[in-house]
Amino acid sequence: MTTAQIPITGAVAARIDGGVKIYGEGDTEVRALDGVSAQFESGRFTAIMGPSGSGKSTLMHCVAGLDELTSGTVHIGETELGSLNDKDLTLLRREQVGFVFQAFNLIPTLSARENVLLPLLIAGEDHDEAWFDQVIGILGLGDRLTHRPSELSGGQQQRVAAARALVSRPAIVFADEPSGNLDSKSAAELLDFMRRAVKEFGQTIVMVTHDPVAASYADRVVFLEDGKIVDELQDPTPDSVIDRMRQFGA
Amino acid sequence: MIRTALKTVFAHKLRLALTALSVMIGVAFIAGTFIFTDTIDETFNDLFDDIFQGQDVIVQGVTEFDVGFSGPPPIDESVLDDVLAVAGVQAAEGTVGGFAVIYDKEGEAIVPTGPPTIGGSVTEDLRLAGNVTIRDGRSPTASGEVAVDARTADDNGLAVGDIITVQTPTVVDDYEIVAVIGFGESDNLAGATFAAFELGTAQEVFDLEGKFSSIVVIADEGTSPDLLRNSIASVLPSGVEAVTAADEAADQSEALSESLGFLQTALLVFALVAVFVASFIIQNTFRIIVRQRQKELALMRAVGATGGQVIWMVVIEAIIVGVVASILGIAFGFVIAQGLTSVMSAIGFDLPSTTAPLATRTIIVGVAVGLGVTVLAAVLPAIRASRIPPVAALQDVDVRLRMSDRRRTIIGSVVLAAGIALILNGLFGDILDLGPLNELTAVGAGALLVFLAVSMLSSLIVKPIARVLGPILGFIAPSNLLRPVRNLIGRRRGVDKLTGLLAVQNSVRKPRRTATTASALMIGLALVAFFFVLGDSIKASASGAIEEGLRADYVVSVSGFSGGFSPALGEELDAQPEIEAVTQLRFGFWDRNGSDEFLMGINTDTVEQTIFLGVTRGSIAELDQGGVMVVEDIFDDEGWTLGQTIPMGFATTGLQQVPVVGTFTENGIVQANFLVSLDFYEQNFEGFGTDVDFVLAAKAADGVSLEDSRAVMDAAAEDYANVTVRDQAEYRQSQEDQVDQLLVTFNALLVLAVIIAVFGIANTLALSIFERTREIGLLRAVGMDRPQLRRMIRHEAMIVAIIGAILGIIVGLFFGIVVTAALSAQGIDVLSIPAAQITALVIFGAVAGLMAAILPARRASKLNILEAIAYE
Repeated sequence: MTTAQIPITGAVAARIDGGVKIYGEGDTEVRALDGVSAQFESGRFTAIMGPSGSGKSTLMHCVAGLDELTSGTVHIGETELGSLNDKDLTLLRREQVGFVFQAFNLIPTLSARENVLLPLLIAGEDHDEAWFDQVIGILGLGDRLTHRPSELSGGQQQRVAAARALVSRPAIVFADEPSGNLDSKSAAELLDFMRRAVKEFGQTIVMVTHDPVAASYADRVVFLEDGKIVDELQDPTPDSVIDRMRQFGA
Repeated sequence: MIRTALKTVFAHKLRLALTALSVMIGVAFIAGTFIFTDTIDETFNDLFDDIFQGQDVIVQGVTEFDVGFSGPPPIDESVLDDVLAVAGVQAAEGTVGGFAVIYDKEGEAIVPTGPPTIGGSVTEDLRLAGNVTIRDGRSPTASGEVAVDARTADDNGLAVGDIITVQTPTVVDDYEIVAVIGFGESDNLAGATFAAFELGTAQEVFDLEGKFSSIVVIADEGTSPDLLRNSIASVLPSGVEAVTAADEAADQSEALSESLGFLQTALLVFALVAVFVASFIIQNTFRIIVRQRQKELALMRAVGATGGQVIWMVVIEAIIVGVVASILGIAFGFVIAQGLTSVMSAIGFDLPSTTAPLATRTIIVGVAVGLGVTVLAAVLPAIRASRIPPVAALQDVDVRLRMSDRRRTIIGSVVLAAGIALILNGLFGDILDLGPLNELTAVGAGALLVFLAVSMLSSLIVKPIARVLGPILGFIAPSNLLRPVRNLIGRRRGVDKLTGLLAVQNSVRKPRRTATTASALMIGLALVAFFFVLGDSIKASASGAIEEGLRADYVVSVSGFSGGFSPALGEELDAQPEIEAVTQLRFGFWDRNGSDEFLMGINTDTVEQTIFLGVTRGSIAELDQGGVMVVEDIFDDEGWTLGQTIPMGFATTGLQQVPVVGTFTENGIVQANFLVSLDFYEQNFEGFGTDVDFVLAAKAADGVSLEDSRAVMDAAAEDYANVTVRDQAEYRQSQEDQVDQLLVTFNALLVLAVIIAVFGIANTLALSIFERTREIGLLRAVGMDRPQLRRMIRHEAMIVAIIGAILGIIVGLFFGIVVTAALSAQGIDVLSIPAAQITALVIFGAVAGLMAAILPARRASKLNILEAIAYE
């Protein structure tokens, strides 16, 4: 289906219009994104789902300013990313965007505390100690702050990454399969925290996942297939997501 | 696919190229040295073949002891009649030669930097003149006529008909140029200036009246040189010998090659230092490669490869690198040889522009060293690779293959102790008896062990050093000097805290890797620091000796490196009322129990007025009876007693039993451990190089102002255009300048080792960054900009380099202190550590680190963030 316009319920944290991303040329050409338009409203938790090769990671990378569209535009807040040079993009990521990756989220030589504060340290900015304590408290990392990443469990590492994504109060947080490498208990803790961040602090989160359970923590799920947005669900449950997923490749 | 390409380009090319480059530079230096010295050898072979061209037999004085560079003693001219009477002699003439300086039209001496200034007679029969050809004019036939070599004439605009001045041992006089001569194709004799006179004039000016330096003979048609040599030999008086021209050419060529042998040895030592440094780089590279390929190697093991096969895989890679680098190095050796030739040419030593052909020896040594060092350095990493367990293929295990700190400490300490013991033993020779090991080898081997030990042990201390350096660098890093500017344009503080912190953390992440990289730089800088300390100590000692021991107001010496000046200057000065005392110093080699030793001949009547010698036994006056004075250390060591005779071998007069008449302690100014009177000197030394004064010390008469006495000195010296008159301060300065010049030369040769080390830092850094690809991707993703990333890498490189500099300085200071202590008997009795130069070395180290970081930093900052994050 061609996307029905999503009703705007609030300010838009990020949006992509007519996004096309082409890799390669000629015979090897791959259209990873094929005319994608979407908006991510402030204070909402959006999951992007789709089968392998559907372009969901590419969508996230382009919206997050890690990759460039072949055509189309991306806005974060009021800023159009295509007009930014590397330096400005870097600053934008530093100040407006938070990231949680699937693996290797932390700098091994820095302590957990330093890793959480990394974007602020890079920017040379002071942090808000109360906010820091609040984030750390919720994540249950209080006693692990002086440890190196190698001394933390996988779940703890991802929670440190999540704390890092939140500590600078970015306009939007992108998470790429954040629970992909975690056992179900750790995954649930992490996703629950992400949902709380949205509900309690009004954080905007966009998460790429292929896990229906993970997607069910979101307010809304966007489905991607062959580089196009094919559907979306509001207030998903694991079952409704699985039902929708079954339609792919059927 | 991108990943594979990235890996190939980033790892393979860089890894192999930089590793090969470090080996290549070392091999090129070795090959270049050989090619260069071969070229010199060949040049001299040709030169001497040419000089004796057309001649059959040479008659000359017998050299009793082959010492120094002194030629055979002169012979009586009456020998010529005996030779002419021998059947089979077609033509024979006597010739003389000696010291001669040609002046240009402005009256300035023409003195090449390296080669000598010589003169001689021209035979009447030009067939006897070797390859001498008259290019323009005619042979000199009367006193007042001179012929000059074509190069000197061309370079100074001299031509037939010009009147020029020539300085000879007996006189400074004007002559008319009647000929410009060449030597076959060459314009001069290997750079020497040459003034030729008619025989009678030559005998006069070279102070050889009634004598010949040699007699040149041409045989009749059909008489072989060997036969004629035998016939002539049978009529010669004792002390005179006949040799075939061919033998003489070979002898002289060989003697010159031998005297240049030190050059080859010196250059090879520096080349080996470079290779040694390169071995650290190779070892590090292979260690990193093995680590990066851990999974691949473990997989090989898992599918059934034996440990031995894994070792072979790594070693084969080393062999490929070694062979390629050696071949390239040998090829590049020609460039180095050309460079050395240009340097020689620039200082007036003309060599043919075509280098000698590649000798088999050069190829064998080049490949053996290049391949050998590469493979040896790769063996340890290869053995470690074979110990990777197959399970490492399946899971991320941190395979710890390194030696335990405890073992490292023990082994390192033992090696360090052995190295220090070897050095001390080599220098002071009374700790252990190592039999066949000679002193220099012991010191060299000891230094090698010290370097290895420090490299081993330093991995234990890089952490604390880096932790201390971090904050210090926060103040002095160049980027921080610009902090106010940055603050103005809106950047905030704290930025450097992170980049600095990451730089420090990264530098100590792999302490062994950092230690090895730093050690490579340490070696070059340690030797520089060593030369700094030794040079400064020599300068301080010389200054001290001059300050305390020089009573003369003026010192006269030649402006160039070598040679001397006519003794007539001393006589002229002595006659001036403004000058109270003149001491001539003449230097000569003699044979002391089979090895070359040298002595100074001095004016015994004036030396006490001009130079303080610290006489402890006997008196200077006793030298007039034909004795020798010895520096006290040697006298004591040998257990000599006053009045005892010691055997001294002279080239001209053979073995003489000479009584020891006294001892002295201050040898700093006379720069010799043995002193004789000028009379004794003249009795025992004859021939080229002994007919001139080496140094002259003069004291002004009481009541004569320094201005007046200086004017007298300068006026007298003006005719002797190759000398410089210096007062005490100037003389001290000139001594220091000489040391500085040597320091510059040594340090220039060490630059190569430092360059290799910088490559090493760059290589290690590039490989480490490659390992940290994902980390860099993450930093970039969360907002680190490119300048910050580059700064982080620069700081890391600076820390590694400064650790290397600090280690180098510590080792260099140690070497400098012990060597200076060992040389105290040689008059180097002051230890002086040049703080400014040492500090400059640290800064130099930091700059070297910065340079090494340029390329890796640029590459890192250009990494694609997404690919970097996804990189495994």
